[in-house]
Amino acid sequence: MVSSQDTAAFGELVRRHQSHVRNFLRKLSGDHTLADDLAQDSFIHAWEKLQTYSGRGSFIGWLLKVAYTTFLQSKRKTKRYAEIINSAGHVADQESRSQVLPDDEITDLEKFLAVLTEEERAIMVMSYACGLSHREIGDATDLPVGTVKSVIFRGKEKIRNSFDIKDHNHG
Amino acid sequence: MAERIKDAEDRLLESMFASPPLADDGFSVRVVRKVNRRLWLRRLTLPIATIIGGFIAFKPLSGLVAVLSSLSSLIPTDTINMATSSIPQFQTVVLGAILLAVCLLSTRLLDN
Repeated sequence: MVSSQDTAAFGELVRRHQSHVRNFLRKLSGDHTLADDLAQDSFIHAWEKLQTYSGRGSFIGWLLKVAYTTFLQSKRKTKRYAEIINSAGHVADQESRSQVLPDDEITDLEKFLAVLTEEERAIMVMSYACGLSHREIGDATDLPVGTVKSVIFRGKEKIRNSFDIKDHNHG
Repeated sequence: MAERIKDAEDRLLESMFASPPLADDGFSVRVVRKVNRRLWLRRLTLPIATIIGGFIAFKPLSGLVAVLSSLSSLIPTDTINMATSSIPQFQTVVLGAILLAVCLLSTRLLDN
């Protein structure tokens, strides 16, 4: 267990898990720069909340919960900011519109993720990209395991309906 | 995904969602640097706030002490003699209690 004062040990934890957290946030936000900024914030939040990690469940599961919360908070802030700008009579450049990749750079995965809602996307990424169990996803998203399962089922169905996934030759 | 059996679709989705591990490229160093900065800021905040608070409170506090000491001179000497005979160093006790109350109050304010 890393104490909140031991920054060297915490640095080792960051090194070990940064790839998972950054990849998770990249898939969730669709923007690499924003994702890396959010990942930094997530690790700082994690350091501040280290004593709340009970040891129950995997550390990466807990870390992804912190990252997901950070992402949602950032989304809320951006939305509020856009509302303020709009109410001031300016044309607000919507959230990540400027940060979205050009059409030719959009990967198949990004197309799949685009048909999902934010919650579905987060849960699908946690399940298929990060390999978290349904219980761990439930802990991370504060949802019952049954709901997690039905969200995954719904997400798969959406992807299946939107794309001919069986004939899809990825890679 | 340990608690369920993966079918072909699950495996396909897993392979599509998979991404190569990202190189650190100084990311962890930047995070640790930020954390250290926060740690130092947190360590310095309370002492600095105490010094500034003490500096701000010094003048009114010294004025309060002066007023209290002048008030105590208004009390008739008979009363003081009577009080000092029953309670030793009455003025000092009152003054100390007031100062203690002010200190506790300012500490609580600083904490808040």
